[in-house]
Amino acid sequence: MIWLETIANGILLGGLYALIGLGLGFAFGVMRVVNVAQGDFIVAAAFIGLYLYPWTPLHPILVIVPVALIAFGIGILLQRVLINRVLGHDQIPQILLTFGLAIVLRNGMVSWFGANSQSINVGNMRFWGFDFLGMRLGVLPVLVLVIAIMLFAALRFWLNTSRMGRIIRATADDHQVVQLLGVNYRNVYAIAMGIALALSAVAGVLLAMRGSFTPYSGADRLLIAFEVVVIGGLGSFWGMFIGGIVLGVTQLVALKLDPAGGLMYGHIVFFIILILSPKGLSSILTIKAFRK
Amino acid sequence: MSLLKVDELDVFYGDFHAVRGVSLKVDEAQTVAIIGANGAGKSTLLQAITGLNMQKRGAVTFDGKDIGRMRADLIARNGVTMVPEGRRLFGSLSVEDNLLVGGSSGRKGPWTLEAVYRLFPRLGELRKMQSSTLSGGQQQMVALGRALMTNPRLLLCDEISLGLAPKIIGDIYRCFDAIRESGVSIVIIEQNVAQACNASQHVYCLLEGRISLEGDPRKLAMDDITAAYFGTEQHA
Repeated sequence: MIWLETIANGILLGGLYALIGLGLGFAFGVMRVVNVAQGDFIVAAAFIGLYLYPWTPLHPILVIVPVALIAFGIGILLQRVLINRVLGHDQIPQILLTFGLAIVLRNGMVSWFGANSQSINVGNMRFWGFDFLGMRLGVLPVLVLVIAIMLFAALRFWLNTSRMGRIIRATADDHQVVQLLGVNYRNVYAIAMGIALALSAVAGVLLAMRGSFTPYSGADRLLIAFEVVVIGGLGSFWGMFIGGIVLGVTQLVALKLDPAGGLMYGHIVFFIILILSPKGLSSILTIKAFRK
Repeated sequence: MSLLKVDELDVFYGDFHAVRGVSLKVDEAQTVAIIGANGAGKSTLLQAITGLNMQKRGAVTFDGKDIGRMRADLIARNGVTMVPEGRRLFGSLSVEDNLLVGGSSGRKGPWTLEAVYRLFPRLGELRKMQSSTLSGGQQQMVALGRALMTNPRLLLCDEISLGLAPKIIGDIYRCFDAIRESGVSIVIIEQNVAQACNASQHVYCLLEGRISLEGDPRKLAMDDITAAYFGTEQHA
């Protein structure tokens, strides 16, 4: 039973990891931009949440709404002012730019907020739990997973059905041809980056509610995001979700077996999947589907 | 007044000086063909007119407006669009979504989803299909329909018969009459000289980036066209 509970908790954590990867994967899928500063934006969002949640009405967890809106604005600004200037066939300038941005952000946060460990206090909710099939599960982790699933589903639905979603998908396929149809792809990119950062911001705030963070947490977050995206398969939507779950379950099961080195096993699983199936889990699933 | 006027246009493709001092014009509701061998600069010329290639100097005037330095999406919103070489559909989108992206330019006019499906009834049957799964001819119809959905005044077609069966090419070229009747001027790029001469009222021949011959295709001698196309001496 204790193992079942560990796996269940791994799935709950994995949903959050999937959300951390979603922002990075979405930005890459649409723009082929690898935003190395994603992890530090996640931490910055947590700090914004830390300062906003005392003013949030109803319940502290609703602070994800204003933080997401702020991150959306920052994303648009970031793309318009900086990243749109270095777009081109060569991806090195984008990586250098966002890498530099990550360093500036991290050190800015250290000097403004100090290097102490922080957490967003959601009050008693942190300790609430309920019994499910003989397992004891926390309310907050379940809520976080539900939010993650809803965001994945909402984004997929919006991309598939809305006019802007259609333009984003078309721009991701061929950003030159959309111009022939009157679409300014730079505007589309700005909106896509806004969405990517908003998703990451929600993940950052939820992570700060479940655990703690420091200005240096960005590198860990970025690593998780990369692993989720690569395990899932680049550009595969629900593949990313499965990637997050795989990572979450591995980590918690390994922590139980080996409390000292548990975190490492997640990276080992990532490494094994990368070697066995460089295109991610979704490519294995697709091959199976074709064989049917 | 001409709808499109290109004056002394030089275009670079990377470091390569692909188009050298080209001048041409297209009148309202006219079909103009640009012919020439591989690498003559035809595609580069169209890329420059649509604004996809910005390494250019010279004047491009559309409907009295200077579009020489205009951004590609704004040129499209002014009524110039292109069916790109190799079709370049949005492969992950359905047929209908491809057409609807064309309709997002916001220009009003006769071309709607219904009108495109009337022109190509087959596309109506395939509307829910992912566009990358279609045959070459069907894809070319989607590419043409997508461009029409912007309600252009000038439609540039880059090698639309490339790699298609003769019957399909015939089907597509027959649709040009309906397109022209809706008031659209057409520029076609072709390697198939006979096809180009049949479909157009005026033909320009490009040779190594320069115009080597132009005129009414019914009045030009085939020998002159061949000479201009290959750059061989006319009076040997």
